[in-house]
Amino acid sequence: MSSDAVVQVLAGRRRRIGAVRLVALVVATALACWLPFQLERGDIGLYDRMGLYALVAIGLTLLMGFAGQVSLGQGGFFLIGAYTSGLLTMGLDADTRLVDPEAGVDPLLAVAVAPLVSAAIAVVIGIPLMRLRGHYLAFATLAFALIAWSLLYAQDRFTGGQYGVTVTKRLAVGGHEITGATHAAVVWGLVGLALLLSTNLVASRAGRALQAIAANEPAAAASGINVARYKLQLFVFAAALAGLAGGLFTFYAQFLGPEDFGIIVSLLFVVMVSIGGLGSVYGAVVGAVTIVYVEHKLRELGTHETLLGWDLPPTAPSILSLGVFGLLLILIMLFFPHGLLPGIAGAMSGIRRRLSRRPTP
Amino acid sequence: MTTFFQLIVVGISTGSVFAIVGMSLVLVYRATGIVNFAQGVFAVLAGLLTYSLGKHLPLPLAAVLATLVTAFVATLVALVAVGIRGRTTHLASLIITVGIAIFAEAVLLAAFGEVPRSYAAVSDRAWDIGGVLVLPQYAVLAVVALVAAIGLTLFLRHTIVGQALVASADSPRAAELIGLNLRSVALIAFAVAGALTAIGGVLLAPAMPVAYSSGLSITINGFAAAVFGGLASIRLALLGGYALGVVEQLVVGYIDPQYNLIIALVVMLVLIGWRSRGELAV
Repeated sequence: MSSDAVVQVLAGRRRRIGAVRLVALVVATALACWLPFQLERGDIGLYDRMGLYALVAIGLTLLMGFAGQVSLGQGGFFLIGAYTSGLLTMGLDADTRLVDPEAGVDPLLAVAVAPLVSAAIAVVIGIPLMRLRGHYLAFATLAFALIAWSLLYAQDRFTGGQYGVTVTKRLAVGGHEITGATHAAVVWGLVGLALLLSTNLVASRAGRALQAIAANEPAAAASGINVARYKLQLFVFAAALAGLAGGLFTFYAQFLGPEDFGIIVSLLFVVMVSIGGLGSVYGAVVGAVTIVYVEHKLRELGTHETLLGWDLPPTAPSILSLGVFGLLLILIMLFFPHGLLPGIAGAMSGIRRRLSRRPTP
Repeated sequence: MTTFFQLIVVGISTGSVFAIVGMSLVLVYRATGIVNFAQGVFAVLAGLLTYSLGKHLPLPLAAVLATLVTAFVATLVALVAVGIRGRTTHLASLIITVGIAIFAEAVLLAAFGEVPRSYAAVSDRAWDIGGVLVLPQYAVLAVVALVAAIGLTLFLRHTIVGQALVASADSPRAAELIGLNLRSVALIAFAVAGALTAIGGVLLAPAMPVAYSSGLSITINGFAAAVFGGLASIRLALLGGYALGVVEQLVVGYIDPQYNLIIALVVMLVLIGWRSRGELAV
């Protein structure tokens, strides 16, 4: 077979696998959108939150996996998205700071603006930082998230400070309100869309450049890839996804308060990515689902009065979740630096190979 | 004008703590290439331990014990943060220290509760210098930071151990070739930095109560001070700490107390951006 033919066969196979994957993704997304209508009322919220966090985690895993940069402030972009869409619908006047519900913009428009604002901020932060070593972006994004969070208190006439604000308008398309199960379905539909975009991105020319950067940055730079620009694009994409998730969060909770946007939220996104594997977008979804579920269970556990014969203090829910997630992050990064799922998969295939090896006579 | 000088005095004393943490971060970074996100936790641990031990022991003894325990904890942190040879990258190490900082909050919350703690200062007198009130605690903090800066500089330049620390960061492979054990180097760097930050924490608590969750803001202020010198210079980290403390106090005094952290962080972001012109990542 000539080498051209080999290439053609390979290309054909790749296209077919691509089609199979596409169908699988569409079916999975359809299932994910159908699921909330079957869930009990109390579980829909949890399921919705899983999807919202998955959106953020998908962006972050691309940044960590391909750009080799970690953002400790994705919660900041999530916050910006949420408050942007929330405050826009309230019709705040910047001069008099009066709330005028009549003047507020349509929630749909507000949700659309949220990722744009987050992305714009990411451009401003990202341009000087993308050429620096990883820890600078880590601290800069953390600083940004802290600034955004502190502003909630400092600008409490806008945000209600620690008491938060209630968002009265509801998200609606053509007269149909998007709440409850419908909201969750929309969110998971967007998760599917984000997965599709991300896998296409990884397979495109830009994706090959990103893979080259991930494999060997100096070599990628030497072969003419504009490393800083690709990294910046990933950072902005991740911020936009977080902003979109935040914008949707507003019409999930219909209430905005500082507790949902603390620094720990930013750090949880890192834990989600480390579970699913750095650079794995499907892993990010698994990580988000896992963390939201585990956090929910830990909260239930922590509110018991006693646990295994121990009297639990009122701070037990915080102690449990901080302890578990901190320990999880340490152990994963120590033993599976590319992520828990890929680490386990690697170990499994190692064992299988060892088992299938023929015994020597 | 008195207000102005008063703010400067308070700023230099709080800035001294940032400087001490900043210098600790520089020391660890220069020796191991790791930015220790959990550095501020050492200050909190030392402060809370001093408070708890101080209920049963004389305060100076409690402070010394707390510092020693914290230095020991820092070596344990080093073992985990350095990770597994050849597998743990510096970025992975940073994320590990993030995990340690989260885990430490849980431990501190479980052990000491959520109430911010404070205890008696070195002296309950105050000096009045032309209307400006100077507490002995402020002076001690500023002097400790200055002495630490001089001591660390001399240590790195003129002692065998100090030069080993610098050498192993400059070229780990060459350092190993001449027989340095990189793990020991990391342990020493974390222990010295841990003890130094612990002293800062012990002295900070009487001026500003510390709680289990104070570590994050202490770390980030320390990092801001360290960034002033590109994470490489002890001297500039000291100056950066003082400058940051003064700026924060001026904001508190003249603009709005709620903005002090925000301004400090913005200053840090601008500094990092400014740094980015010089240094390139490889």
